[in-house]
Amino acid sequence: MLAAQVLVNAAVLGCLYACIAIGFSLVWGVLNVINLIHGSLIVLGAYLAWGLYQWIGVLPWYVLVVAAPLFFAIGYLLQRLLLNKVITAPVLVTLTLTFGLDLILNNAMIYFFKADYRKLTLVPSLGSISLGGVVVPVDRVIATAFALVLTGLLYLLLRRSRVGRAVVAVRLDHDAAVLMGVDVKSIYAIAFGLGAALAGCAGVLMALIFPISPLTSSAYLGKAFVVCVLGGLGSVSGALVGGLALALVEGVGAVVVGPSYATTLSFLLLIVFLIVRPQGLLGRKGFE
Amino acid sequence: MFRFRLRRRAIACGGFALAVAGMAGLPSTASAEDVIRIGAPLPITGPLAPEAIKQKQGYDLWAEQANKAGGISVGGKKYKVEIVYVDYQSNTPRAVQATEQLITQDHVNFLFGAFGSGAAKAASTISEKYKVPTLAATASSSQVYDQGYKYLFGTFTPNDTLTTPLTKIVKAKAPDVKKVAILARNDLFPLAIAQEMEKSAKANGIEVVFFDKYAIGTLDHSATLSQIKSLAPQWIFITGYINDLLLARKQMVDQQIKAPVVTMIAGPAYQEFIDALGPSAENISSAAWWHPAEQYDGKDIFGKTSNFVKLFRDKYKTEPDYGQASAALCGALFQLAIEQAGSLDRDKVRDALAKMDVVTFFGPVKFGSNGQINSLDPPVFQIQGGKPVVVFPQAIKQGDLKLGVN
Amino acid sequence: MTRSSIALAVLLAVLALLPLVGGAYALRLGTIACMYAVFALSWNIVGGFLGYPSFATAAFFGFGAYATGVLMTLGVPLPLALVATLITCLLAASVLGAVLLRLRGHYFAIASLSLVEVLREVVNNATDLTGGGMGLNIPLASNSSVLGDALFFFYAMWIVLALTAAMVIAVSASKLGFGLACIRQNETAANMVGLNTTLYKSIAFGLSACFVGVAGGIYAAWVHYIDPSDVFDILYSVKPIVMALIGGLGSPLGVVCGALVYLGLEEVVWRNYIQIHSGLLGLLVVLLLLFLPHGLVSLRTRLFRRKAGHA
Repeated sequence: MLAAQVLVNAAVLGCLYACIAIGFSLVWGVLNVINLIHGSLIVLGAYLAWGLYQWIGVLPWYVLVVAAPLFFAIGYLLQRLLLNKVITAPVLVTLTLTFGLDLILNNAMIYFFKADYRKLTLVPSLGSISLGGVVVPVDRVIATAFALVLTGLLYLLLRRSRVGRAVVAVRLDHDAAVLMGVDVKSIYAIAFGLGAALAGCAGVLMALIFPISPLTSSAYLGKAFVVCVLGGLGSVSGALVGGLALALVEGVGAVVVGPSYATTLSFLLLIVFLIVRPQGLLGRKGFE
Repeated sequence: MFRFRLRRRAIACGGFALAVAGMAGLPSTASAEDVIRIGAPLPITGPLAPEAIKQKQGYDLWAEQANKAGGISVGGKKYKVEIVYVDYQSNTPRAVQATEQLITQDHVNFLFGAFGSGAAKAASTISEKYKVPTLAATASSSQVYDQGYKYLFGTFTPNDTLTTPLTKIVKAKAPDVKKVAILARNDLFPLAIAQEMEKSAKANGIEVVFFDKYAIGTLDHSATLSQIKSLAPQWIFITGYINDLLLARKQMVDQQIKAPVVTMIAGPAYQEFIDALGPSAENISSAAWWHPAEQYDGKDIFGKTSNFVKLFRDKYKTEPDYGQASAALCGALFQLAIEQAGSLDRDKVRDALAKMDVVTFFGPVKFGSNGQINSLDPPVFQIQGGKPVVVFPQAIKQGDLKLGVN
Repeated sequence: MTRSSIALAVLLAVLALLPLVGGAYALRLGTIACMYAVFALSWNIVGGFLGYPSFATAAFFGFGAYATGVLMTLGVPLPLALVATLITCLLAASVLGAVLLRLRGHYFAIASLSLVEVLREVVNNATDLTGGGMGLNIPLASNSSVLGDALFFFYAMWIVLALTAAMVIAVSASKLGFGLACIRQNETAANMVGLNTTLYKSIAFGLSACFVGVAGGIYAAWVHYIDPSDVFDILYSVKPIVMALIGGLGSPLGVVCGALVYLGLEEVVWRNYIQIHSGLLGLLVVLLLLFLPHGLVSLRTRLFRRKAGHA
């Protein structure tokens, strides 16, 4: 019974991890930028959900409708006005730039929202469902469902739409895309905007589950790193697989060797993966 | 190409010169003579930021009250109070640096200790060297006070004074409690208190069926909680800071984990813990060094405990908790000591603190020879009806311990 | 010796005169300045010469702090503990370097970043040896006055800085330095012309680790108390990069200047803007990268300059 419960926990948590990581993975894959502001964007999304619920009682899943365009705009502008200026510079420069932006956003959130931990508690609470002794909390299931829908939408967008095909084209072969007449700078901005929108939506959903504070941003970022490396970069399915793998390792690790080793284990796994299989479980090789 | 580099270097040098000039322009001497400056190194940014805000509220409330009353009288002359804050970014070495900066650059007269046991201990090395009396508002671990320092005083009793009465009252009210599961954050204070709990449990014949620690920054406790559930303990004891405890409690509800007694340290004393959890905070027990329900008639500036609570509520629109109260107490104690010494001389104030034996709004205050307070009886309390209710000690009890956390 | 090496030596000599003008607090800042300069110079070997984006500084620093700290609690005197730390760091990092430096670009960045996380958690869990989350108390190295202590640690850190600078200058003038530059320019080609790239990279990683480790050791003895989240702070990895970007990647004199400028700015911002200092630091980083990228220009001009220096 314990085993079944741990596996179910891991499956649900894995989808949440995928939701946290997907925007990060997209930006990394398409722009070759490690976007360190991702964690803070998630937290900002969580504050949006929390604020709207406290203020006018809007349920988080309706907030998604507002969050997606809002965060897309934030991301699009960040890329257009700042990141595009240094996008051709070495890895270090773009990474350090997003680090600086993260310091600014995080400090701003501490300044305006205070560092106190807040919690979005729905009244009445959604409770849990029990299936033959295995308990699943409803809010996590809902968040998981939305996370899956979001990733599905992204998948469709990348597959079916013109813009999406352009994004994929730039990801696969930047030079060829330029030759084919794709406006790369604007595709970069769209991809970063999409990444930010996914971060914001993830934040809205996470507000239901985790305590909210600017201080949690680094934890989200850390998970996103591991998920991306485990699953492979830039692909929707990769994030999902990576998330599930991470949650499974953490869950089983916590029970078998103790909870204080769970994080260590996941980072060890990350290093091992980087060395022996840098393309991830599903990803393809490249993006150096 | 070469001109390019020269320009760059010139800019760099210019930047450095600017930085040095900026530093030189800072207030480096004590300002007007009739002000008492007290330095407060606080973790205003970083993971401990929420705690720093509480401390600051306590200090500020005291300073405001002291100044409203005209200031502190030293030998017939009134001195205003000024608190000099420095942020040490939740980083212990920075706390040490901040302490030295406050003493040598800002020329403060006295010091409040850094937050928590670790930082307070590290920083006390500096204040001891400079012989600056320091009052630590939030350092409970006895290891902080075992260095033979003469200038460090603390207002929290040792950790075991929290767990021992807790275990006793649980044992008295719920003799069926035979098994306890302890989950601790792998961090100085939470781990220390969990270890004390383990000792108390064993001393009282309660079996510890689970004892483990989780890493700082853990985002999910579900696997660990499932494991605890499968062991069916009657008592679940979780330590951590408020974010950890909010998450753990939420996940306990998610997993439908129930137990007659659930204890959490150190979150439930905070109003935001109750606000954030709503009904699921019900019947969670905890212990702390102070509680607003206490009724002391203090000789300090705040007087009665109820007066302190009222002043605090007026200023911050929320209930004070032990952290804020202890910070305010440290200010009030400095005031008492300075007035008693009749001087701002650091050694005289230090001696006045060492001899202090007084009732305050926080309770009776008397420091042991190691500098740690030894006159307090920390209360055990439980969240009942959305409010913390004191269940121990008898003198200030507001209700009985209720069993069953769902 | 090139002109910039001489300038660096002069700068260090001037720094050594600090005790003549400053009190205990100035010495504390001076000690931190030396420590930052050690970070920046060491990082420059891998980040500047070799062109690999390393985030491992905090890992070496924390490792060194704990190695020295644990040895000292076992009764080993400070100098001996530091030598042991130096050797362990050099060897461990060389081995790690051979493995990790097979990765390129972001993958290497992430692996070095995770190294910090893994070491932190290992130290956190090795409670018997390190005290785990309870932190480690380190016995006082000396029992002298405030100023005596400050002087001791300042000069200790300064000596490490001088050694690091000497090492970096030696490397940049040697075959090793040339090899590293080749790898940065084109690793595949370097490999093909018969350069043992793995060996070179491994040595570079080891050299970039050992003095940071020693600095960590001195630091541990200096503050008497360390805990995992303090010494394995990821900011220790990021700061040297910002310093190098300020001063100019690859140039030893540049990165030392960068370290000093950074410390100056950090101190001013930290003191004057309690609530928003990290945001201001972020703003500084952003502005620097967008409007003052001269530090980066040297990445391309470096080779030209070296030729000019030899001529």
